Amino acid sequence: MTENGDATVKVVPVRHVGQWIASAVAILFLAMLVHTLFSRLPVPGQFSCRLVNGVRKCRPLTEWRFSWDIVGRYFFTSEILHGLLITLKLTVLAMLIGIVLGLLIAVMRVSTNRLISTIAWSYTWFFRGTPVLVQIYVWYFFSILYPVLSLGIPFTNVTLVHFATKTTLTAFLAAMVALGLNEAAYMSEIARAGLISVDEGQTEAAISLGMTRRQTLRFVVLPQAMRVIIPPTGNEVISMLKTTSLASAIGLIELFGAAQNIYGNNYLIMPLLIVASLWYILVTTVLSIGQFYLERHFAKGALRSPPLTPIQRLRRDVAGILSKFRTPRPAREVVS
Amino acid sequence: MSTPMVEARGIHKSYAGVEVLRGVDLTVMRGEVTCLIGPSGSGKSTLLRCINHLEKHDTGELLVDGNLVGYEARGGKLYERNDKQICAERSQIGMVFQRFNLFQHLTVLENITIGQVKVKGVDPDGAKVKARSLLARVGLEGKERHYPSQISGGQQQRVAIARALAMEPKLMLFDEPTSALDPELVGEVLDVMRDLAESGMTMIVVTHEMNFAREVASSIYFLDGGVIEESGNPREVLSAPKSVRLQSFLSKVL
Repeated sequence: MTENGDATVKVVPVRHVGQWIASAVAILFLAMLVHTLFSRLPVPGQFSCRLVNGVRKCRPLTEWRFSWDIVGRYFFTSEILHGLLITLKLTVLAMLIGIVLGLLIAVMRVSTNRLISTIAWSYTWFFRGTPVLVQIYVWYFFSILYPVLSLGIPFTNVTLVHFATKTTLTAFLAAMVALGLNEAAYMSEIARAGLISVDEGQTEAAISLGMTRRQTLRFVVLPQAMRVIIPPTGNEVISMLKTTSLASAIGLIELFGAAQNIYGNNYLIMPLLIVASLWYILVTTVLSIGQFYLERHFAKGALRSPPLTPIQRLRRDVAGILSKFRTPRPAREVVS
Repeated sequence: MSTPMVEARGIHKSYAGVEVLRGVDLTVMRGEVTCLIGPSGSGKSTLLRCINHLEKHDTGELLVDGNLVGYEARGGKLYERNDKQICAERSQIGMVFQRFNLFQHLTVLENITIGQVKVKGVDPDGAKVKARSLLARVGLEGKERHYPSQISGGQQQRVAIARALAMEPKLMLFDEPTSALDPELVGEVLDVMRDLAESGMTMIVVTHEMNFAREVASSIYFLDGGVIEESGNPREVLSAPKSVRLQSFLSKVL
């Protein structure tokens, strides 16, 4: 070995045999998956025949197991794209209602006024207690309960506005209201967890500077609560994107509804389900990327160094690999 | 004779049936440093928090700068002040906490400007200039863009002092400002507080630093079990304690 740390020694990293085996198995399964995704099936009873030297040779006709050609044909059709647009609109609007109302309910929930906190609690209790699909139906058939919606002064005949429920509450609006109100119940719990997570000392410090309760909430508590609120909210957005497909039950032609409409006519069930699924997964991916950057923004001050973006990580990895090939790295010195 | 900055007479305060303060009298003159000492649970912090109305005292009379804290006396009745008035009162009293309580999501500079901008309505540029000069005063130039999690506890506490000073308070309250610090960081915070005392700031300091109390304070109060057991000139009180309770307390902390 060395003396006085003059000489250098080669560092031999530990070999992880278990990891190698696991990787090999994983690669095998991946190969199987890719193979089956892009395999072909014989079409029953159909053959392509040719005459070769006077002999008829027949081979069964094949098609993609996952009908990729049909998927490709329907991927950008106007019905699907229109459905996608409705899905996106519904997701954004329902989440907006959910987030705004959810925050309000969370703030009400932590209020010192017992009546207000009880109202907030009851809201969450009610909307979390019934299935969202049932709620969608209830809003769609709301006109049975209230044929006319009017705003007036209770116990008098004074009405300010009124309109017929059936014509006003379209399938889109019913779905939007149902999903939004339901989401608010879940968002309020997420927001409340965020508000509670902020140390009480922060509030005390803000108050002792002379801030009002509202200023304290807005400038001190909420920005810090965001770090806790954002990740599950991103989850909720992604979940909402897919929950909107329930609106097809009341006849709204969103992405899934559009796919259903098409395969209802031509019986290409699987290809159209794949089309819808691919679109959902594509939008989810885009949303996940957005969520990463949002989380990074609100982690300000909480972490000593913010997490690397994928691009930064790639650059670091590439630089690390390149450095191994450049001039031989000075080997580690052993200090005795 | 000017009126005292803080005058407390017979302050009582209980939490859920436990009486934390049982009739406390205290007078703090302008420009003086007053130290509150005593075992934990004796009510020191509670008294401090009553003074800037973070806690409501139950009975007794508490005056800051000649005004009743949280109430207004008019025509023989006490009217509870509204939130806005209480906030205005608080903005003139600086408070420094044991756990610093810097706003974690804001930089050092933003921590010092936020109160000026949002509460006092100072324009952001003016607030920044003031914040920089205060940072220089507490010896932290160059730390403007750091977040609280990136600086040491002693530095955080000095930022907290600068944050309170930015409001130009007439009174500064310190709630065990060095108790959460590593021993080698205590000195830098006490130095800043000593400078502040020399500049004529009225200060009430809850502390276990007896040397600081002896050197800087003009009066000292020993609280035990929610009452003031002994008070007076710190040199006399600390070197010749009369009550048995203070004698045993000092034998433990000194």
